[in-house]
Amino acid sequence: MIEQLTAQQRKVAYLIGIVVLMVPIILLGMPATDEASSGGQLARLRQTHDLGDSSLGKVDPTSATMNLVLLGMRGVAVNLLRMELDTQKDRKQWAQMRATTESVILLQPHYIQVWRYLGWNLAYNVSAEWDAVEDRYFWVKEGAKFLMQGAEKNRRHPEVYWETGRTLGQKIGRADEWKHFRKFFKIDPDKDRYPNGPDSDINPEGKDNYLVAKEWYQKANDAEEQHEQHIMMRALFRSYPARSQLDYAEALQKEGLFDETTRNAWSLAYRDWVEGFGKMVFQEDDFEIYLEADAKDVDQIADTSKVDRPLVERAIDIHQKVSNYKFWRTKAHAEMQVNTQGVHRELYEAEQLFKKGDLEASQEALDSGLKRYELMLETYPDLGMDDNTLEEGLWAVMLWQKIYQLKNQIQPEEFPLKAIWEREAGRIPNIQQDFNRKFGPSS
Amino acid sequence: MTFDHAPFLFGPALLHWVLVFGSFAGIVFSVSVLIALGVYGASGPTAVMGRVWQGLHDFLGISPRRIWAIALLTIKEAVRRKALFVFVVFASLVMFAGWFLESDLRADLQVKNAVSFALTTISWLTLPVVLLLSCWGLPEDIRLRSIHTIVTKPVRRNEIVMGRILGFSIVASLIVSMMGVVGYVWIRRQVPNNAELICRVPVYGELSFLDREGNLTDKGVNTGDIWEFRSYVEGGTRSSAVYKFPMDKVTDNVRFESRFEAFRTHKGRIGQSLLVRYVLVNPTKGLRVPLGSFEVAEFGLNEKDLDRQISFFDEEKNENRTVDLFDDVVDQNTLTVEVQCLDAGQYLGMARPDMFIRMPDRSFVVGYFKAVVGVLLLSIFLISIGVTSSTFVKGPVSILLTFTVLLVGQGFREFMLKLITGEQKGGGPIESWYRLITHMNDTLQLPDNFGVKLMQSIDNLFMGGLWLVQHLIPDLSYFVMSPYVANGFDVPWSTAMAKCVAMTVGYLVPCLLVGYYSLTLRELEAK
Repeated sequence: MIEQLTAQQRKVAYLIGIVVLMVPIILLGMPATDEASSGGQLARLRQTHDLGDSSLGKVDPTSATMNLVLLGMRGVAVNLLRMELDTQKDRKQWAQMRATTESVILLQPHYIQVWRYLGWNLAYNVSAEWDAVEDRYFWVKEGAKFLMQGAEKNRRHPEVYWETGRTLGQKIGRADEWKHFRKFFKIDPDKDRYPNGPDSDINPEGKDNYLVAKEWYQKANDAEEQHEQHIMMRALFRSYPARSQLDYAEALQKEGLFDETTRNAWSLAYRDWVEGFGKMVFQEDDFEIYLEADAKDVDQIADTSKVDRPLVERAIDIHQKVSNYKFWRTKAHAEMQVNTQGVHRELYEAEQLFKKGDLEASQEALDSGLKRYELMLETYPDLGMDDNTLEEGLWAVMLWQKIYQLKNQIQPEEFPLKAIWEREAGRIPNIQQDFNRKFGPSS
Repeated sequence: MTFDHAPFLFGPALLHWVLVFGSFAGIVFSVSVLIALGVYGASGPTAVMGRVWQGLHDFLGISPRRIWAIALLTIKEAVRRKALFVFVVFASLVMFAGWFLESDLRADLQVKNAVSFALTTISWLTLPVVLLLSCWGLPEDIRLRSIHTIVTKPVRRNEIVMGRILGFSIVASLIVSMMGVVGYVWIRRQVPNNAELICRVPVYGELSFLDREGNLTDKGVNTGDIWEFRSYVEGGTRSSAVYKFPMDKVTDNVRFESRFEAFRTHKGRIGQSLLVRYVLVNPTKGLRVPLGSFEVAEFGLNEKDLDRQISFFDEEKNENRTVDLFDDVVDQNTLTVEVQCLDAGQYLGMARPDMFIRMPDRSFVVGYFKAVVGVLLLSIFLISIGVTSSTFVKGPVSILLTFTVLLVGQGFREFMLKLITGEQKGGGPIESWYRLITHMNDTLQLPDNFGVKLMQSIDNLFMGGLWLVQHLIPDLSYFVMSPYVANGFDVPWSTAMAKCVAMTVGYLVPCLLVGYYSLTLRELEAK
């Protein structure tokens, strides 16, 4: 029969055959989209049983194509690319290195450590190589964007969400250049591409970096409920959204903002810490605990789970110590008070006035601030163990002493925070060094 | 992007070529004589001499008309084999490439992507086509016995090889030039309106350094970089980088472009980049002209325009002065520029190509088509290798051989050099296997025993083979000129084009000889 057909007829027959065969292929093998129950029969089965790439998020189709092209030699290709990436890094060919990073990730889209390592590399290592702050910020953003991309492609894994949160929170908020970075996060320095606004890829709503980080940490926690993370102890991991809120409130203070916004930030931080993180349930061997449990709760846990009370107390104590739970609870509670904000404001203003040369007004603000500081420590004695709080107090005393020196006056025998000054004498040399670097050595 | 290729010196290169080619020809001749002596006795060397004489005769008596006839046949064969279908693939890529190239990048990066894409596509589409055609042509003729219709005519074997190479080269020229024109139009349409297609013409100088006491040294400080390409000068000291630029022409102004790196030992002023200053120096007159300082744009371009009349404050004489760049500063047709970092405790890094004088730009089309010619030269090189290898091996083997030359020449020479010189740890193939199997990493010392010595001796033989391959296969990365154009530079004749032309011609001559003798000695009845 076939032999009787002309060449052209045979070609048409083949074409029809191809089209006919495509129908079952499409029905069976059409890839899934983001929408539920999308794709062909096989894709739906993969989704139902959580088996394949289609359930892992937005998978780049080129990665599958690349697998075919490389005929199963993915490992060799990745090794070559990683060697190339290292060479490019050594030779500071950043643009090429960024492109190679993308190639590596096309081949290893679900290898979490690769996302974490390469994201860190961009945000921390590459950014540090650049001199201009704007350039450093660009690479921090590149790292964050890369991690966001990784999180999208690996929605089940909490690690990449957490890493994104860390880059947006700690890298931007705690780098040496944090003041610039935090400003850039709201108003990007690349005016051509982001005129007078943030980079919409990482901060579409123009929020504070710690608040955006908090959202990513929360996503990490949500994912962690389904799939275990392998970065750190669970209690620590789950504390990060609340910790980010605490960081946000602290950052506002560091920037000299002591108004209602800061108090509200602390208030929310306290609520997140105590009612959110404090009420989270953590599984011990045979029983469940939460960090905000009081004596009555401990009894109830022990009775319900039929375990010894000291065992429950010990488990809670360990979790509280690991996450420094009590300190942050006290700190947040203290900072939401009007008096505490007053302390920070007056000490901050005293320094600003000192810089302007208004020694009288500065001294007045210091006197008032230090008195309120003592009152704060009376109310919250635990803060007397906090490095930042102590440093703030000792710094204020140094400023107070400096004013006396500049005014050629003998400082009084008794002065505010004298007890702390004497108790924390070991800390003074380091702080004094920083102080002298900023305001000149004592005469 | 850095272009620090040494300029091509025709005289030494020719001498080197003559030495290598002469030695190679001498060795082949000697071995042939010895073998002939062993096999045929006293008449053997005479026969070899006869072949040599015949070869000389054939090469001196080549007929351009016959070569052209074979070239035409080759072109027809290539067309019949649908070689020109490559245009369809190219057209499809060009039509839809815009969809996949990022359009939200900076304008200069978009230009870079578009230029790189066009030139890389031309290269990747052309090379496989010419590789397959050139390697497959003669073996197919031999297999189908159609070669008998040629060799029975008064056509010399060297004319067949030359005609084949010429024919395929014409096909490659046609493909490359057509794609080049289409690619150029595509780039013009692809780049955004605010982007500029430029073709800088740099003039590089010689670089030396002054240490912190002001003494002349070859290198500056290494701040911990693994890649020692750049040297650093210390800020706030007498340390500086000294560039000496040739200045043959007198112009109204001079533009310096530079690309320096910063290295901080302390935070310094966050928010302000390191300060850099140029000092123009005339050592004969003892004149030092400090120019205004500027913040370094790291990994970017620092541009500094200089008028012929320069006003400056003379720190030694404590007065304002004006000097003429060419009359007062340029000394013996050399402009000396000291580059200093002004921030104490910080370092500024640079290499020879990091600073240059930018001459008036050429048209982009000039640089672009030079890069296209680079692709064509590489194609001709591959055709020479492909046609030659197809005279003594079958099609698939010839393809494999030519592809290996391409692969090694483009990407593995550096790695092979590291292996040969021992820079790449882990030893030769047997030692590597031994280490793999025994889980010994490359830093662990091998035991001192007979087995290891034997293993290393065998590895040395492999390394000898590798050395030969490394020296036989040229560095084909010179043919890839797209980085120049993509980064907005002209393709220089001396450091790029001349090398490629010399390489193509340099390999073409021995290829013709090898091809001629292989085809002469080959049994054409064997399939």
